Amino acid sequence: MAEEKKKHKKRRTATEAAASIGPMVKEFISGTLRAKEEGRKVAFTFIVCLYDEILRAMDILPVWTENFAGICGAKRDAERFLERSESLGLSRSLCTYALCGIGFDQWREELGEMPPDAPWGGQVRPDMMLSSGQILCDPRNKWYQASQLYMPDVPVYNIDLPYPLYEDDVEFTDVRDYYVKHIIEELRGLVAFLEKQTGTKMDYDRLSETVDLGERTWNLIWETYDLRRAVPTPMGTGDAMNTMVPMCFMMGTQEAYDFFLGLNKELKEKVARKEGVVEDEKYRLLWGGGLPSWFALSDFNYFNSKGAVFPAETTYRMIESMYQIYMPDTNDPIERLAWRWFGYWVFWHNKARKRPGSHPDVEWLIQYIEDYKIDGIVMHEAFSCRTWHLGLIWQLNQLAKIYKPIPVLVLGKDGKKEKTNRELPSLVLESDIIDITTYSEVDTRNRIDAFIETLESVAKSKVH
Amino acid sequence: MNEKNSDIFSRIESYYSDYGQRAKELKNEGKKIIGYVCSFIPLEIITAAGCVPFRMRGDIHEPITKGNINLETIACPFYRSCFDLSVKGRYDFLDGSIVAHACDSMARTYAVWKYTLDLPYSHFVNLPHTLSKSSMEFFNEELNTFRKSLGGFAGKEISDDDLAEAIGLYNENRDKVKALYELRKPDPPIISGTELTKILTVGASLPVAEANQLFDEVLEELGKRKESPLKKVRRIMIDGACVDNIELVKLIEDLGGNVVIDTLCNGTRDNLPHTDIGGDPVSALADRYLNKINCPRTYRENKEQDLHKDLESRFGDIGFYAREFKADGAILYVYKYCDPFGFEVPARKAYFDSIKLPLLYLEDEYSAGTIGQLKTRIQAFLEMLG
Ligand code: SF4
Ligand code: SF4
Repeated sequence: MAEEKKKHKKRRTATEAAASIGPMVKEFISGTLRAKEEGRKVAFTFIVCLYDEILRAMDILPVWTENFAGICGAKRDAERFLERSESLGLSRSLCTYALCGIGFDQWREELGEMPPDAPWGGQVRPDMMLSSGQILCDPRNKWYQASQLYMPDVPVYNIDLPYPLYEDDVEFTDVRDYYVKHIIEELRGLVAFLEKQTGTKMDYDRLSETVDLGERTWNLIWETYDLRRAVPTPMGTGDAMNTMVPMCFMMGTQEAYDFFLGLNKELKEKVARKEGVVEDEKYRLLWGGGLPSWFALSDFNYFNSKGAVFPAETTYRMIESMYQIYMPDTNDPIERLAWRWFGYWVFWHNKARKRPGSHPDVEWLIQYIEDYKIDGIVMHEAFSCRTWHLGLIWQLNQLAKIYKPIPVLVLGKDGKKEKTNRELPSLVLESDIIDITTYSEVDTRNRIDAFIETLESVAKSKVH
Repeated sequence: MNEKNSDIFSRIESYYSDYGQRAKELKNEGKKIIGYVCSFIPLEIITAAGCVPFRMRGDIHEPITKGNINLETIACPFYRSCFDLSVKGRYDFLDGSIVAHACDSMARTYAVWKYTLDLPYSHFVNLPHTLSKSSMEFFNEELNTFRKSLGGFAGKEISDDDLAEAIGLYNENRDKVKALYELRKPDPPIISGTELTKILTVGASLPVAEANQLFDEVLEELGKRKESPLKKVRRIMIDGACVDNIELVKLIEDLGGNVVIDTLCNGTRDNLPHTDIGGDPVSALADRYLNKINCPRTYRENKEQDLHKDLESRFGDIGFYAREFKADGAILYVYKYCDPFGFEVPARKAYFDSIKLPLLYLEDEYSAGTIGQLKTRIQAFLEMLG
């Protein structure tokens, strides 16, 4: 493990903004440790939880447990916590973020203090744990319940946050009213729980301001990421894995908004100077799904060294333009949160309905392929997170079936060359988010090399 | 066991080994067959629509091959097996399939399932995770959406009376299953775990009225057993998720234990809870499926932050059945990649500990090869029980 740690090189970022993220993340962790000492309430929670603004408006400090596990992974120091979870009876086939978190928490509880050499000071003991029973992820529903076995006095609140899946015979507008109504009720239940835990009433004016700030931040992120359409692209997915931090962990804060203002400015300047992630941009790739291996982010640099860049990704693109999300005329901040949530998850439904054989997830890929002038797709199958990874292969297969954007010549039956269209080349990498034992740098890079060769030959055979 | 040769048992044997034969016949008679995998599918609505619900099974003897083309190997192996068989055409007689929001393996692959199988009908039933008042109301609406959608496919508006009738039939079914379970109470039991697993598995492949008839015949036949064909040995409970074959039970019984009770999806979890009658049928169904089916995918709040009470409220049924059926030991059997159960293993272990029931925890992969490997551990466990 020590060897591994030494060998590990830091990833180079293309933007200054992305480079500034490290200290910010460090501050989350030390901030929660400080807050706890000062007697402020801290809550375990998950990204994409919808209620960021509610926590911010109530001055409850979120502890992003996935983030802490990711840090352990990035520091190549997750194994001892994973093993601890395994020794408690938790299968290694479960979400490794959760295993890392539960292992850490159990150890801390057993010792009555942080485990030795805890990464960045360790994960604080929470005052409450906020689960979310979404359709998105079972661990969000089960992780904190499992942790509670080791800290039974810490209350858990589980909020149900459904969204409808895509159906042929049921449109989302058919079910929208009862979905939104339920989400609103669940959010109100959460507020009541938080009021009880903190002993203070929600200040709804403040919540309105926070939600408003959140919505403005959504738009700003959307506009900022849209700048990456430029050729050459000024920012890649590697950097986006950093800039996801203010998006996913700081929504509803002025700091997040200011961060994206800065990034926006930086990208505009780069675009004006035609300054790309790489000097000679050859291939524009879409990161079409999958959480990254946090311990191997330098693979993005490896892609770059081959002239390949990632102007877009669907991973951690947890925002849409608020101008395109249906919002009824309401000033109630809770209602606005509910409508925004619903609108985000059904965002691609209407588009999918227009293309035979399509599906919202596939339509999303197609839109990005077109908007960002994409030459190929890369996905990552992280073995322990079913949430973001189940269905990726199918999406690629379905995409190839219904969308063939590359004109090429093939040998016809009569021996003459015929013009036809082919699908985009794709690469599926396989490893994990933090479990380093699943990763081989040599294999990964060999596969990247082979993929670059494919891109090269497809580019050559393309008919212009 | 002279009953083995009796007509009813050979019929069960035949339905079990050629699974789906009756559904195929019904399909040829013009019935619409609707496949499902999990206990959360409201079968009453399918029956009320005039369709035949058919519980799809995996096959632990069949290696997963074609299914891997579109479905990642990180999904639950049981579910992958069901998918693989479907892709290979084993369930070609299906007109539709219904998937529930039970676990990530099901919910996150709904599109894979729907587009790959490309059946004339498919629907996703979105169950809430919590039991709040709002969740119940939501689920009510969601069931009504399903009712309307399936009615549209079946060409029939599903009335409250249709639902009430179907609820009646299923409640009868559950009474009969209960009567079958009662036969496990004597020591030694009148019926073996292997036999009962076969009977229940077969029942889930038939229209409910036929299953009821079949169970009646089985009960009548078993009523003739004056004496148990089994030996008086250790009484074992199996706790876990979807076990749709006899292999594990048979292995335990071959090794010298009697499987007398379970808390499995294909056993008590699904087959015993009744639906209330007399009120609004959809609300009653919502209550049965969301509230009464005790599965870890549904979050039961730990209201008092009391570990003991929490374990009791989540797993109390395990203790109840263990006492009722006088289990001497339990086997917790969980598939790799199963999040709802996987995350509960430490808590379940703690619960078994609290009720002082010796426990063997097995993680498995839904394959005949790996089941065999469990042999030594089960044997040691049975020896330990003495
Ligand atoms: S399963 Fe995936 S989305 Fe869920 S907690 Fe784990 S990493 Fe996060
Ligand atoms: S065994 Fe677990 S993961 Fe598999 S289908 Fe059942 S609940 Fe889902």
